[in-house]
Amino acid sequence: MHINEFESAMKACRFCFMCRHLSAVGNVLFSESDTPRGRALLLDKASMNPEFLFSDAVVETVYRSDLAANCRFHCVSHYDENSLILAARRDIVEAGKAPEKVAAIAKKFQKDNEFKVEGKKADVLYFIDDYTLRQPEISAAFLKIAKAANVPVATITGGCIGKALRILGYVAEGKKDASTFAKKVAATGAKTLVVSNPAAYDALKNDFPAWGLKLSCKVMHSSEFIADLLKSKKLKAAAKKKKTPVYYLESDYLKNYNDNVSAPRAILEALGFEVKPFGTNNEESYSAGEGACVLLELNPELVSRLAKQVASRADNPKKDLILTASPYTRFVLEKETELKVASLEEAVAELL
Amino acid sequence: MLPSTTSYMFEMIRSELTDAVGANFVDIREADRFAHSVDYYWIPEMWHDRNMPNPQADVIVHPGTTEEVSKIMKIANTYKIPVVPWGGGSGSQGGALPIQGGILLDTKRLNQIEKIDTTSLTVTCGTGIIARHLEWECNKAGYSTMHLPASIACATIGGFLAHRGTGVLSTKWGKIEDMVMSLEVVLPTGEIIKTLPIPRHASGPDLTMMFLGSEGTLGVITKVTLKIHPQPESRKFRAYLFKTFDDAMDAGASLMRSRLRPCAIRLYDEEETRSHVKRVFGLEDISGAYLVFGFDGYEKIVDLEMEEAMKIMKKYDVQDLGSKGGDLWWENKYKFFYPPYMFHLPQAFGTLDTVATFSDIKNVYWAMKNTVNKNFPEARFIGHFSHWYEWGCMLYARFIFEKAPADPHEAAELYNRVWDLAIRAAIANGGVINEHHGVGLKLGRLMKELYGPAKPLILDKLKKELDPNNIMNPGKMGFGF
Repeated sequence: MHINEFESAMKACRFCFMCRHLSAVGNVLFSESDTPRGRALLLDKASMNPEFLFSDAVVETVYRSDLAANCRFHCVSHYDENSLILAARRDIVEAGKAPEKVAAIAKKFQKDNEFKVEGKKADVLYFIDDYTLRQPEISAAFLKIAKAANVPVATITGGCIGKALRILGYVAEGKKDASTFAKKVAATGAKTLVVSNPAAYDALKNDFPAWGLKLSCKVMHSSEFIADLLKSKKLKAAAKKKKTPVYYLESDYLKNYNDNVSAPRAILEALGFEVKPFGTNNEESYSAGEGACVLLELNPELVSRLAKQVASRADNPKKDLILTASPYTRFVLEKETELKVASLEEAVAELL
Repeated sequence: MLPSTTSYMFEMIRSELTDAVGANFVDIREADRFAHSVDYYWIPEMWHDRNMPNPQADVIVHPGTTEEVSKIMKIANTYKIPVVPWGGGSGSQGGALPIQGGILLDTKRLNQIEKIDTTSLTVTCGTGIIARHLEWECNKAGYSTMHLPASIACATIGGFLAHRGTGVLSTKWGKIEDMVMSLEVVLPTGEIIKTLPIPRHASGPDLTMMFLGSEGTLGVITKVTLKIHPQPESRKFRAYLFKTFDDAMDAGASLMRSRLRPCAIRLYDEEETRSHVKRVFGLEDISGAYLVFGFDGYEKIVDLEMEEAMKIMKKYDVQDLGSKGGDLWWENKYKFFYPPYMFHLPQAFGTLDTVATFSDIKNVYWAMKNTVNKNFPEARFIGHFSHWYEWGCMLYARFIFEKAPADPHEAAELYNRVWDLAIRAAIANGGVINEHHGVGLKLGRLMKELYGPAKPLILDKLKKELDPNNIMNPGKMGFGF
């Protein structure tokens, strides 16, 4: 079983409580099984009793994980409980035991996968993923920024580049979609591929190489791209005259998966925003399930609870401006809460 | 016990519980019943590791208010169903294990902070709040509970109250019982009581102290008011390497007797310095007994106290590791508890913590060490002294077998034998059965020896009066079924 490839995480996490305080799902459902320890304990039992892996108990718990990876980030030894969960999902799928809902979502991602390239051939290609597509103000803002910096950009729009399928446990299928995307990107001749969605960024930076897929261009998150434009003075944006307080929510994919936190904050500080600390700490996940990518489709009730938990951490929920680098998080918080939330792209574009 | 789940009576009772707390908060999921069957106690961990089934609760409830807890207790009493309170489940003594099935009362929904009183410097909150979350909220307001144990990430405040827990700064800021102002408690029969609003008075016996350390056997603590403190201007540490544990203990005791107020002192014996401190801190060529202490508060006072403490240390033949050596400990103080630094199966290990006066503590240490070494030559004995008082200190001793018998019954028998012998050695030399982890299931059988006639005459009678149906966490603390 694939879970046995992560035996060290299983054995380490099954009896350890040291990251319990960070379990977003555990903190809203209050269930012991929805913690890294609880899940590792369940999977440890499954490693001794393989049929247990396919029980309702385990399957439901495994697919409820938000995969924020803040436990791994926090752990002094960085045990990878996250990958253990993904391995469990893979085992469940490969055994033909994926829940109906999971299978239906996977089927949808495999079906709608035509990538469409628009715009003149350009060195910079901007990928508009599903969550960015649902919020056209994000891509509009990004394109406005690129135009203001005189950087020609072409766009590529489409379905799954493999991330969602991999998250669901459909690894081979995910690789197939990723391969299709890589070929399409190569055909554009672009030198730089920019994405707004940190999940897509992580897929391109980490999943693609793991699958042996080599992209023909450099991959950047939109925050890195914009930060570079500001640093090189290609983009001139009028900094706020008076320090404007904002709260910035870290993306789990940028921070916990890629240890990449500086670009968004550099942008905000350069533009005269006063970045105030959100909530009581910077360890908890405030992404409302970003790590699990398709959690909104899989478990909307859980995502609603996660979003409301984020809102409960805000100092002034109806007044504060919350910025995020994640289109998923922006979408969910706007849908489920009364928070005033915007993307980094929108915050920058507004100053042009 | 709850009727079998195949019986319609199970559904009748489940409906009553649902009526009390809401359908979303009555849980019979196999995953949760399983996850709640293992805490931090070695025996259920080992049992699981040997693929043996641990006793499970029949149903888990998550009450959100004190009134809901009261309703649950009344239902449990009506049907004589055991109720086991569970906070973070990180107890090492088996105190929250549902050994007789029944209802597991998970307190984590009782996590609201009611008030931070900046005039009296107190915080009032539900006992289901995870200690780290409470500390963060206090920090945001500019304060600290000063209760910073290694289990802060997982344990609830209620768990600390239940077993009289402690944190790394206890030497100055106290154990949890020193931090409590008042409690709200739901009695086993469902009545809600509040103890007096202040801890110091001459208004009768201290009810707060009666419930602190009762480990869920006398009721469910639902709310607490704790002291909080301004964040200190400065906190500084210094470490020393002594040639022997004896010298280091003398130095630590001198420091406490001087009535300087260190916020922390920690002394590791030679074996723990060599095997653990060295490994966790990544220090090379370190041998001897490692002693670290710190002071916190206004910087001028911290510097003055540190200067006086250093004068005390200079009286000994000692290597000064400086503030760098001390900061190393503070920055890594929790690292010992993460895998792979923490002991883990297939090892058999346990923390034989006890406490004694300075007059007795060395005797306690050597008695326990000699007992383990003589009776279990295959085991290692290491110890550190982590919580210090004006009159003595606690010994956080551990025994470690690299491998326990494969047969779980043999493993449990061996494990229990170590406790019996080592803890009795402690008691015989002026120690007690535990200092801050509690009694639980692990040490319940030793309560009679510790208390003598006070156990049946006072403790048992109190238990019987408050819990006539013996449903409140039965089988723990030596109270039996």
